[in-house]
Amino acid sequence: MTLNRLPLIFGIFFMMFLFQEALLDRIDFFVGGFSLYLAFFMAWIMQDERNSAVTTGFIAGFILDLSPTLEAPFGLWTLVLTGMSYILATNVRAALDSELSPVVMTAVTVFGSSIALILFLLFGTILGQDVGSGAYVTQEIIGNALWALLLSPIYIPVTIALYRGTLTARNR
Amino acid sequence: MANRGTNRTRLLWVSLLVTSLFLITLDLRGVSLISSIRNGTQSFLAPIQRVGSNFLSPISNLFEDITNLGRTKSKIDALRAENESLKSQLILNENAVGELEQLKGVLDLAGKARFKVVSARVISKGGTGTFGETIVLDSGTNAGIKRDMTVIAASGLVGVVKSTTATSAVVLLMSDPSFRIGVRVAGSQDMGILSGEGEGKFSLRMLSATGQIKTGDVLLSRGSSGDKPFVPGVPVGKVITVDNATGQLTKQGRVQGFVDLNALGVVSVVIGNIGGNPGDALVPQAPRPAPTVTIFVTPTPTAKE
Repeated sequence: MTLNRLPLIFGIFFMMFLFQEALLDRIDFFVGGFSLYLAFFMAWIMQDERNSAVTTGFIAGFILDLSPTLEAPFGLWTLVLTGMSYILATNVRAALDSELSPVVMTAVTVFGSSIALILFLLFGTILGQDVGSGAYVTQEIIGNALWALLLSPIYIPVTIALYRGTLTARNR
Repeated sequence: MANRGTNRTRLLWVSLLVTSLFLITLDLRGVSLISSIRNGTQSFLAPIQRVGSNFLSPISNLFEDITNLGRTKSKIDALRAENESLKSQLILNENAVGELEQLKGVLDLAGKARFKVVSARVISKGGTGTFGETIVLDSGTNAGIKRDMTVIAASGLVGVVKSTTATSAVVLLMSDPSFRIGVRVAGSQDMGILSGEGEGKFSLRMLSATGQIKTGDVLLSRGSSGDKPFVPGVPVGKVITVDNATGQLTKQGRVQGFVDLNALGVVSVVIGNIGGNPGDALVPQAPRPAPTVTIFVTPTPTAKE
């Protein structure tokens, strides 16, 4: 990973965070909600090489922790996304073909988002956060997975294009 | 060579994990720098959220409208031609009328209780990643709003102010899993604790073994010392089921909130309580049936010619 990519990655994820906080969070999805930020992150990490993925995970988590409506301790999303990025970039990525098909990208994005939410809840509970009833949590996670699946034809091509835009000639 | 690369990744990964654990520790120890970062983000986000709110308010309930589309399709078709030219203006007007109705309702409630309030528009909501139920208001400390103030809507309690910046405030909704409020039953005055469970669901646990509840009982806020975080007498919800399981020390039940927390446009923050405890004065009244007017007509015999 080249260091000059870092400000660009930070800028892209911060813009995505603003889009999520200012626009998407205002929409009432009738089943749960949709975190475009998480889906975008998963699709990004799937294309990244290991070192870069881990650093991107840390940056993306740090930005998500800035959310003023977040009840969880600062750093919890950083921990979860840093962990997820390593697992995706090493274990999951190694088990897949070098050329990722859209179906695989969608599947990993949907499952990855759900697992990230579950890990966030799990660590949050350990740290003393109130997470609500089982029905509520299930509805939120299933709702997010559903929307991540349905909207994947829109955000996955955008993620791929943005990711390629950040690559330097040397990275390519 | 590849092994060296893997080790370097692992080292970087462990360093970043340790850094995130360090951040969590700092936050849990209450280091003010961390809360300042979030407040700073809120100050930065508030104007963007305001623009987003103005842009999205006509379509924020898009999915709800889509679910009703089948039922209203024929009606929409008939009206489409007539409405086309006025469509954009009408959407904005409807939005404004809706907000005015909410504002009127909340001011009526505040006036009845003699609460001093500041009204504010809802400009954002907490996201999926937060697993919390929050909203963001477009007014903050500049308008007199401070942390731990009660937030109400036309039908009753909405939540409590969690944090503020100069021009915005984050409100913890009463449906948030971490939300707890002391309530009393209107009439009997038995006391209990209401807890949020997410998505507009609430549970109630009475404080005393002798405390009784029944379906339909209205719950009002009990109030806090110095009216912070809760002013007394605000309608909170209605008991919908009572758990009669044996072996419980105190009665428990399920509660339906008076306020639809998914349809908040304008709310009021109680910044002062001039009238003291309003008692049961704010209990919502059941709508009275409109009287049917019956007119008796007695025909007057006409004179024969």
